[in-house]
Amino acid sequence: MAQASQADGTVAIRLIAGGATTLASSVLADSGLEHYRGSFANKAMVLPLASSAFGIAVNGRRAQQPESRGTAAPTVSHVGSTAIGLIGLGFHAYNVLKRPGGPSFTNLFYGAPAGAPAALVLAGALGKAADTLAQGKDRIGPVELASGRAIGAMVGVGLFGSVGEAALLHFRGAYHDPFMWLPVTLPPIAAVSLLRDVIDDHPRQATMILLGTTAALGLIGMGFHAYGVARNMGGWKNWRQNILAGPPLPAPPAFTGLAIAGFGALLMMRQRRRHG
Amino acid sequence: MSADPQHAPQASAGRAPDVFKPGGWVPMRQYPEIDEVDFVIVGTGAGGGTLACKLAEAGFSVVAMDAGPYWRPLEDFASDETHQQKLYWTDERIVDGDTPLKMGSNNSGKAVGGSTVHFAMVSLRFRPDHFQTRTKLGYGADWPIGWQEMWRYYDEVEEMLKIAGPVRYPWGPKRGRYPYRAHPLNAAAEYLARGAEALGIDWTETPIATLSAPRGKAHPCVYRGFCVTGCSTNAKQSVLVTWLPRAIEAGAEIRDLAMVGRVETRNGRATGVHYHRNGEWRFQKAKNVVVAGYAIETPRLLLNSANDEFPDGLANSSGLVGKNLMAQLNQAAWGQVEDEVRSYKGPPSLAISEHWNYEDSGKDYFGGWSYMSQGPLPIIWAKSLAGGRSLWGQDLIDEMNRNNHSVGLKMVGETLPDERNRVTLADETDQYGLRIPRITFAFRDNEKAMIKHAVDFMDQSLEATGATERWKEMNDTCHLNGTARMGDNPTTSVVNADCRSWDIPNLWICDGSVFPTVGGVNPSLTIQAVACRTGDRIREMAARGEL
Repeated sequence: MAQASQADGTVAIRLIAGGATTLASSVLADSGLEHYRGSFANKAMVLPLASSAFGIAVNGRRAQQPESRGTAAPTVSHVGSTAIGLIGLGFHAYNVLKRPGGPSFTNLFYGAPAGAPAALVLAGALGKAADTLAQGKDRIGPVELASGRAIGAMVGVGLFGSVGEAALLHFRGAYHDPFMWLPVTLPPIAAVSLLRDVIDDHPRQATMILLGTTAALGLIGMGFHAYGVARNMGGWKNWRQNILAGPPLPAPPAFTGLAIAGFGALLMMRQRRRHG
Repeated sequence: MSADPQHAPQASAGRAPDVFKPGGWVPMRQYPEIDEVDFVIVGTGAGGGTLACKLAEAGFSVVAMDAGPYWRPLEDFASDETHQQKLYWTDERIVDGDTPLKMGSNNSGKAVGGSTVHFAMVSLRFRPDHFQTRTKLGYGADWPIGWQEMWRYYDEVEEMLKIAGPVRYPWGPKRGRYPYRAHPLNAAAEYLARGAEALGIDWTETPIATLSAPRGKAHPCVYRGFCVTGCSTNAKQSVLVTWLPRAIEAGAEIRDLAMVGRVETRNGRATGVHYHRNGEWRFQKAKNVVVAGYAIETPRLLLNSANDEFPDGLANSSGLVGKNLMAQLNQAAWGQVEDEVRSYKGPPSLAISEHWNYEDSGKDYFGGWSYMSQGPLPIIWAKSLAGGRSLWGQDLIDEMNRNNHSVGLKMVGETLPDERNRVTLADETDQYGLRIPRITFAFRDNEKAMIKHAVDFMDQSLEATGATERWKEMNDTCHLNGTARMGDNPTTSVVNADCRSWDIPNLWICDGSVFPTVGGVNPSLTIQAVACRTGDRIREMAARGEL
């Protein structure tokens, strides 16, 4: 039984680190494209690229080798990602609010998005959580990690954030394709189910299924966005313009990353119920 | 693609160009000339094209003719202002009066789809009171249609064109959500916004008929900026790519390069039209004739159709055919700013203030006006500088080099109906042997007072944003309306609210010429709304046997 518990714990760490890796990948691709479109007008626009690339490396390593005792690199990466994400949120808010009309729909549609730097914050926090657990510790400061509930709560809130971003940007696209309703209907149900499990401290099978569907939706969404790119003038033959003008390819997998980390949280909750 | 669309009809042999597919065709029904079709429509622009769709979908047999070519936007439109003049109606006309109009670009089109092929896509609703200016505001003439009914038809047209507009519109009664979201503002639009905020008035993103998201086979706008010379991506929701494909699918026939020269009548009813196509004059029999040639060609055709029965021209017992021509005011204020504006990027009028359409106090004139940000293309800009500031030679070249830092605001202002502003026939004839129109126009005191107020206000707005070297462009006009006004009284109007002529029960007029007043907004949305209403009314009347 103790061995099973250990194995479950290892899997959970893998999942949480894997989720963080996926999120960081989404951020790297997204900020790479969008900041390239913005011509790196502000030099600080390279920071999320650097920190998310660093995050992919350390979280990816952690997902592969959940038990390795590390160096200081992971901590530097996670703290860096979180800090750069938070600073990025400030920059993005300024970018929106400085436009004529202030916090109007048009400025929220076309100004710098809040979701992207928030994803970087989440990638840093999830990475730090995975690291801490891997080192056999069960809390970061006052936050208790071992039960999986804190991580589950973070994923639940993160999902709502991603849903908010999808809702805003799909509203910008006037929900012209009915499938655009999917990411604003299914993930919120998954998030509510996950948060209910966290509050009840009772992981349910239904949540597993919903998170699995959400993870799949993130990948399917990339396919839909690829189709969306094709619907721009010149289609994929004009990829250099249309990848920038069309729906963002790297955005939907943020759902996948969060859902994977959510699996990890559920696994920890289940494990503790079994053995706790 | 077969021969040059300007010289060989494209819509023939049972097919019409597929505007969404290079080299593609769509099947098109064709009607023999000896068959008396239910409706022959003269003109396929905002009025005629829209009505062709509505009538074909109502089950009528429809032949819609246009003097212009059937273009394929994806293949035939170049990013070249000079080349794209092929979209304009540049046939000979005589202009006179104290303010002779400049014809042949922003105010006319000769193409299937009419001038919507090159319009600036600005899609505004009339202020409700502007349908009843005589009763409510003491000037002009009342429309015979209530604003609530017109607003229902605005809904229909906006949905059909997937208008991209703001989430909340600051003026007038609450309206439904625009089908698509507004486009991002370009820098020129931001200057309007900042100026309006400094002056304490509302502004918003202009509702425009270009896609902000994909729609069927039409691509979203790529912000190429050549909107007024013809959109080559089909993002622009012109009649050519919206109503007409639907009309053809519903069984309408479009005849391109078909210039109608005369409407035939017998025993007080229209019997068909004489038209010129493929080098010869032909005759199409019809149970009903709809004239939709816009404010110049519509009265010209009605006057050119004079015969023994109707010696003063058709539908002209009131004597009003050709009268009350209203050319909207299009004056501008310009200035220079330090940052790079590149105002020609994206659609030309992305931000608007309708403040002075809805505010009546503080005016020493009747009527309303709106103003929009501007993005002139190089040749238009050179003409503005040469005409408005008398720059020429090196001075003009130097000024053109600073174009990236120029920013401007342009009004769309209401002209009052005045019978002295009119279209008559000149003695000269054109390439078809038809008498050409003489267009007589002058600004009166009311227009002059409005222009002064508007350009001063726009100048203040520019000043508030830090623009320097400001100047005023005083002599531009745009959309043409009037010349066959609708009304409730056969002695003071040409058609009734259903666009049916008082004199000839099976002759209809459906375009901007039926406007009793023009308001301070671009007319295309209203023309299409009137056409939608006319289509519905004809269907209802046919069902009751009243045609």
